[in-house]
Amino acid sequence: MFKSILASLFVFLILSFSDSVFAQKVNDFPQKTDPLHIKVDMYDKLIRGNHWNEGTIMQHVIFPPAGLDRPIVGSQADCLDPTSEMLAAYSHKYFVTKDPNARKIANQIFEGILKLEKVTGVPGLVARSFNKTDKPLWHEKVLWYPMEWHWSTSIPGYRWLGDLSADKFTSIFYGVGTFWEFCADEKYKQKAANLLDRFLGRIIDNNFKLTDLDGKMTLWGNFCPDLPHQALNSLEMLMALKVTHRITGKERYNAAYHMLIDRYHYDDHQLRSKIIWPEEWRNKGDDYHAARSLYMLMRLEHDRSLMIKYKMNLNRHWYVWQNHDFSFEDDIWFIMVYQVLSGENVLTDERKQVIKNMWGFERRSKEFKIPTEAGFKIVESEEEGIAAAMVRNYWFGRHFGMIDPAW
Amino acid sequence: MKTLLFIMYLCLTAPSANEKVNGEPEPPQGMVYVPAGDFIMGSTYGDPDERPQHIARTGAFFIDKYEVSNSEFAQFDANFNFPQGREEHPVIVIWEQANAYAKWAGKRLPTEKEWEKAARGTDGRIFPWGNTYDETFVVWDLRHPRGSAIAKPESPYGCFDMAGSVWEWTADWYKPYPGNDVPMKEYGERYKVMRGGSNFNNHSFIRTTHRYYVPPHTTARYPVGFRCVKDID
Repeated sequence: MFKSILASLFVFLILSFSDSVFAQKVNDFPQKTDPLHIKVDMYDKLIRGNHWNEGTIMQHVIFPPAGLDRPIVGSQADCLDPTSEMLAAYSHKYFVTKDPNARKIANQIFEGILKLEKVTGVPGLVARSFNKTDKPLWHEKVLWYPMEWHWSTSIPGYRWLGDLSADKFTSIFYGVGTFWEFCADEKYKQKAANLLDRFLGRIIDNNFKLTDLDGKMTLWGNFCPDLPHQALNSLEMLMALKVTHRITGKERYNAAYHMLIDRYHYDDHQLRSKIIWPEEWRNKGDDYHAARSLYMLMRLEHDRSLMIKYKMNLNRHWYVWQNHDFSFEDDIWFIMVYQVLSGENVLTDERKQVIKNMWGFERRSKEFKIPTEAGFKIVESEEEGIAAAMVRNYWFGRHFGMIDPAW
Repeated sequence: MKTLLFIMYLCLTAPSANEKVNGEPEPPQGMVYVPAGDFIMGSTYGDPDERPQHIARTGAFFIDKYEVSNSEFAQFDANFNFPQGREEHPVIVIWEQANAYAKWAGKRLPTEKEWEKAARGTDGRIFPWGNTYDETFVVWDLRHPRGSAIAKPESPYGCFDMAGSVWEWTADWYKPYPGNDVPMKEYGERYKVMRGGSNFNNHSFIRTTHRYYVPPHTTARYPVGFRCVKDID
């Protein structure tokens, strides 16, 4: 009997340490014919089961044997976009349902963002992502900029990815701002305020430059009034200052907001966030950052003359958004954002059907070319994308009355 | 006799094969001439490694009008492959390949000083064309060939794409400018300096003074190409 228990225990341990057992914790995918709320619920479980990395949400996960027994990042090395989407999703969900478990999960995701800061060892410097590992991972060399991975000096046994961009900057204010607004209790409201204060305060201290560990501006971190930068970055900085002033109550951020407008005309510069012509220069990825920025900014701004300019920017985007073909996961969210900000009812039957048809990812097998000391080896492995935007879209739509719970 | 003297005068004063009428040497095909002299190097508004802004000096040199293209590089390295239709796109290679090509072509990689002077001239401008920015001034993305910016702005000496397109290797190690008092652990002889920025990254990196560092044996996944210089005999 004892031997049999030991044998069972042995088999259990073997299975426990086998990559294939715990790699994909959740394996149930929805059907395309399932109702929307079922699809969202199943994708939510897949995301939290397979992409969860200590509160952060990995965008693109590679499973063993190419990956580890926990999520590692794939070709997209960032986690801040999906992490902020899931933080927003659970914040809206809590607002709609008042489910304490939704708030608990949102708190855990927020703690993940805090860890993205803590792992860098520099207050206010936030990593793109981190991995708990005792050695550099293979994907660091080939899937992103290898020079941007660092050992953590503040949390031993962790490696983190630097060179934070304006896109991830926007994710932080969008995600944390939404969390503060709709979900956080008093304790977490203060934590959120402190994080944004450190993060944006450090950028302002560096003359509106997002600087990296080496002291240089990151390759996408330019909001500086003394340096030429994209119009979209002006919009993003105005949004960040408005949100942080609202959340922290510190006059410093209000003063900076008005300085950038009065002296440097960021309000005029942001008008050109959307490049409309030539047509080939239109960029849906940038539209996503503009949509999040306008959504956060326009709900907080009460100055009529500034609102006219932000509305002009929104209208420039709408000129293109209204004809999108919904091939991009955020296309339908642009429509929803426009409806929330404009007050116009733009949800046609066709667009409602697009919402009902929202779909996430499908797992697939892929060959990975993994660098070794002797060269490269080819490893076939499974990888999984993410449906965080879909989950966010759903709860955003529920929050603002655009999605029927019965769908 | 008068005629003979006049012919002798013409022979003595006429430009030689590689000399222009105004006294400037005639550049080899595809290159432009940059005269010797002082220029403003570095900035007061950029990263700490761009400081201090100072007066630097170069000798005269020729520099390629455009970045080296895929088809040009393939003439040097028969094993070099690139997608069909991208003959005129700037080549993306590691520093060691760029340096080898330059030697093969009888040229060399520019020093940081030479690169910056060729890009901004002597007046301390932010960009090769001046101090303002517009999307039409640069090659929009890596899908477009070299020289395809809508406005086609030239640098003061007639170079194209020194802002945007691909980053460009220089000959120099990443070291502080004389008088720079902001330490960086990256300084030394581990990294080569690349200049000019790439449109895939932020616009501010296409400033003529911006410096970035990458080891010579890799591009570290940055789109890095190069152009060459040639000494004047």
